[in-house]
Amino acid sequence: MILGCAMTTKSFGEPILRKEDPRLVSGQGRYLDDLGHDALAAAFLRSPHASARILDIDVADALDVPGLIGIYTYEDLEGRVAEPLPLLIPHPALLNGRTGYPLANEYVRHVGEAIVMVIAEDRYVAEDVVDLIKVSYEILKPVVGIENAKAAHNAVHSSVPNNVSAHSVKEVGDARAMIKSAPHKLSLDLFIERSACSPLEGKGVYAIWEEDSQELRLWSSTQTSTGVRAAVAAKLDLPLQKVECIAPDVGGGFGVKIMHPWPEEVLIPWAARKLNRPVKWSEDRREHFISSAHERAQEHHIEVGFDEEGRILGLDVTFFHDNGAYTPYGIIIPLITSTQLLGPYKPASYRVEFTSLFTNTVLVIPYRGAGRPQGVFAMERTVDAIAKYLKLDRTVVRERNFIQPHEMPYDLGLIFQDGRPLEYDSGDFPASMAMLKKMVGWDDFETMRGEYAAQGRKIGIGVACYVEGTGVGPYEGGFVQVETSGRINVATGLTSQGQGHQTVFAQIVADELGVPIDDVFVTTGDTRRFPYAVGTFASRAAVMSGNAIALAARQVRDKALRLAGEALECDPQDLEIVDGIIRVKGDHAKSIALKTVAVLSNPLRYAFDESAKAATQFAVGDTSKPPVPEDQEPGLEGKDYYSPMASTFANGMHAVIIEILPETAEVKILRYVVVHDCGRVINPMIVEGQIHGGVAQGVAGALFERMAYDESGQLQNASFMDFLMPYATEIPTVEAGHLETPSPLNPLGIKGAGEAGVIPGSAVFASAIEDAEGFEIRRMPISPSELWELRRTMKENA
Amino acid sequence: MKIIGSYSLDHSPAAVFAALNDPAVLLQTIPGCQALEQTGSTSYAMTITAGVASIKGTYNGLVELADQNAPHAFTLKASGSGGPGTVQADVRVNLAESAEGCALTYEADAVVGGVIGGVGQRVLSGVSKKTANEFFAAVNRYLGGDRSIAAVVQQSEAGSVSIRKESATRQASSTSSLLVGAVIALAGVLLGWLITQ
Amino acid sequence: MNPEELFLVELTVNGTPLSARVPSRRILSDFLRHDLRLTGTHVGCEHGVCGACTILLEGKPVRGCLIFAVSVTGSAVTTVEGLVNNDGSLGIVQRAFHESHGLQCGFCTPGFITTIHAFLKENPHPTEEEAREAIAGNLCRCTGYQNIIKSVMRAAELIDSGVRDDH
Repeated sequence: MILGCAMTTKSFGEPILRKEDPRLVSGQGRYLDDLGHDALAAAFLRSPHASARILDIDVADALDVPGLIGIYTYEDLEGRVAEPLPLLIPHPALLNGRTGYPLANEYVRHVGEAIVMVIAEDRYVAEDVVDLIKVSYEILKPVVGIENAKAAHNAVHSSVPNNVSAHSVKEVGDARAMIKSAPHKLSLDLFIERSACSPLEGKGVYAIWEEDSQELRLWSSTQTSTGVRAAVAAKLDLPLQKVECIAPDVGGGFGVKIMHPWPEEVLIPWAARKLNRPVKWSEDRREHFISSAHERAQEHHIEVGFDEEGRILGLDVTFFHDNGAYTPYGIIIPLITSTQLLGPYKPASYRVEFTSLFTNTVLVIPYRGAGRPQGVFAMERTVDAIAKYLKLDRTVVRERNFIQPHEMPYDLGLIFQDGRPLEYDSGDFPASMAMLKKMVGWDDFETMRGEYAAQGRKIGIGVACYVEGTGVGPYEGGFVQVETSGRINVATGLTSQGQGHQTVFAQIVADELGVPIDDVFVTTGDTRRFPYAVGTFASRAAVMSGNAIALAARQVRDKALRLAGEALECDPQDLEIVDGIIRVKGDHAKSIALKTVAVLSNPLRYAFDESAKAATQFAVGDTSKPPVPEDQEPGLEGKDYYSPMASTFANGMHAVIIEILPETAEVKILRYVVVHDCGRVINPMIVEGQIHGGVAQGVAGALFERMAYDESGQLQNASFMDFLMPYATEIPTVEAGHLETPSPLNPLGIKGAGEAGVIPGSAVFASAIEDAEGFEIRRMPISPSELWELRRTMKENA
Repeated sequence: MKIIGSYSLDHSPAAVFAALNDPAVLLQTIPGCQALEQTGSTSYAMTITAGVASIKGTYNGLVELADQNAPHAFTLKASGSGGPGTVQADVRVNLAESAEGCALTYEADAVVGGVIGGVGQRVLSGVSKKTANEFFAAVNRYLGGDRSIAAVVQQSEAGSVSIRKESATRQASSTSSLLVGAVIALAGVLLGWLITQ
Repeated sequence: MNPEELFLVELTVNGTPLSARVPSRRILSDFLRHDLRLTGTHVGCEHGVCGACTILLEGKPVRGCLIFAVSVTGSAVTTVEGLVNNDGSLGIVQRAFHESHGLQCGFCTPGFITTIHAFLKENPHPTEEEAREAIAGNLCRCTGYQNIIKSVMRAAELIDSGVRDDH
């Protein structure tokens, strides 16, 4: 019988408040620009033209500025720094991958490309110098937009005259034949415009070169400190051992900060070593708009063949992807679009062909969702079109095409972005849909519509479903260590940008080890603390690092119980750990503190503090064996890795009820409902926060945000005044329902949740607007004036 | 690093040449030059205060003449070192008659090391040319009658010449964001002529 | 070119007199962050739209990125650091954010906290709509605003229940 025990509160699954908060809410965060106050500052002269040849760079007027340290152009770059930046993700379909140089080498290919780097005593001076440098250009004709890239009257890269960087065709079955023989056919043309991650904190790099030890320490506002470290070491020709990279507090990433190395991530450390002085750079908002990255622009043509029930017999998708001026991140986005487009459905046959095109615009790399929003938009518009054609309920057509729970695991016959088969491991789509319909009142909507119509108000309801491959490999690692003070140190190599990793990973360890969560301290993104990692992206951190940390914690637990068993002279099986005390189940007096075991694990002989002294009470160890047995190490710590066989698939469904104002065609959101399945949940409060944030970006992408390039390749809305990021008044309250189909693929049964909220954004709004207005919505985002114009055109043509 | 430049002076090559022979003139016209001393038959030592914007310092330089083809061309080998770095330069100078007076051209091959070597090629070449132009403009002004600085000429026992500025009556202008190499090299160019006399 | 002329700027920041010599064009957010090393105030856009740089000038919320430091010499400024209680515990709005999961990356948070602190002084019993309107001038990319509105309501609730802080 267990008497009156105070059990450690279970952490996993609880909405534990965040350990990060007290520091951050009191202004004690340390973001990149908060560091290195005495460092030299860098500023960049960036191309004002979308396509040009640099003729001359005249710095004469800039030489006198007090506080100037140096001015650098491509000619100053040495060794590997003068070579093109790496192409991170090669792929057989990427026929003509191209990357840029850290500073432009004769040609500039997008507005914002860096040409000159200035180093000065402070940022104001550096920018003064930039303003005084005169560059003369031969302006070339730029390629802007998918249509112009296709037409190829001009080339972004002279070695790629047709502007095609990649081309790929994948087939499962013979879709074209199935469509030809199908009872019904439809064709659709769809378009999504570019948007951008736009984290509130831009990029930044701070580097310190230690001349005495020839070591480099750099901080970057990055999603992958191990990636940056490796790339910088390679470029600067330094042994990996001599380079450390730390991601400090990061003010949001959403994908843009997974790209590495940015030119600045190479140039700032290079300058620090050259000048033997710390150097720091933080970009400003305009720089972020014109020299970071965008995503989302795709043009789809769809042919679909279906039967009278609405079941899809053949789906033939041809799409064009705008990849910007360079392809350092390969073709991950169109690959994800082409595979995740299928969502929760099982068309009898499928063909997808994509062409990725260069344009004289900024890079395209993943933005939360990473190609899925485009794919979901394509699929969901198609399913809605089928429903409209057959005069069937939109959810019914979806249900008829769902992969059923008993069919799991379901192999879709394609290769996913991790190089492994696209196979859904779990999910109950019918149950998700049933929950969604109930929550939003789907079946009663017509009544609601009638009530509003009686008041002269026009409303509509939309629905959209998606499946998301999460927890993509190759691996992550976890390190757990018990100090003799009782403090538990946890480290993992991937990074944090607000996901609450310091809390959720502490929850896992608190549960696995039986210690108070207040004693657990987590470090992420520091190559000094954990040097093997991939990074934070693709909704993978909880799945990858969460599992690795759990495995590492179990190692610690096993060792602790073994050592405690020796000290207490009992079987480890009879022991439990509660609140940091290891005790015999049923005989709590027989106990030893975990921290004391930590002392015992490192047989140093020296009692350097009270807990170390406590260890001397226990005579442990078999004198016929060495103090540290052959297969053991000193210390109470564990390190393990989690490397998945395949991604684990989360899913979700969204519904939105909107009202469209008659005079202005403004869209008002009346209700936004989410049903979400990410397997077992570590911290429901944090998962909901992720959903809220994702939905906000989905709303933004559907109704407000786009990158407005003109025909000269000038970005016309490179500021928050013109790039319409929504405020609180534009974002609805999200009602979220959860389903839990645990992942069978990892020990904790969890799936990723980071991107979920944004994925069906454009699809669900298009669905709702079309439902309200009655005509087809095929292009997103849609502004009130565009909707108004569309209305007028439809009326005229009617 | 190659630095190529030219300057047109309003006086005849002979007049230019004579001015350049005068150590007192050189002290006035070489930007940042604090002192000058003959150390051998074809060599001179000088002290120059120079810098590139924030990287300022005092440099000690040596200049040596070579490959003379009087009175049209000669090569100057210069080297200097100071807090911010080191410079080594070989400069080929040509003087020719022109409609305005004298057409002077120079071609320098310079190696810059240390901190000052880290400022970037465009800064280095930009500053060099600026310094050279300042120097030639000063010589041109001197030949036009401007005598604004006094210098004290001392004859040492060995008969060599050493000159220092009497007082800093003319502050190095803020445009003495100067490259050591160019200064030394170009001053050396002119000092070379002292020897040929 | 001459180095810039420097001017002495003296402010009371979070109750403490602080000063530094800066050029006339030094903006207040940079002054606070780099000259006074109070990095709690963040800079998101430098054109007054995102609100991350919001500080309280004589108690009123203003954009630190749109003001020159020299123009506010002699004034009293409150930054997010100053809303912590004297004993180190979190001020009411800060505590409410923590309890309501009102922040994720935390970059926009200081601007919201100062804004809401000033708002609640004027309107300590807001409706949810009023709370939403009050924060409609600050951008957040992480939270979708839902929990920030909850934080405003939670702070109001704490005040209603008699909780007081030092500000």
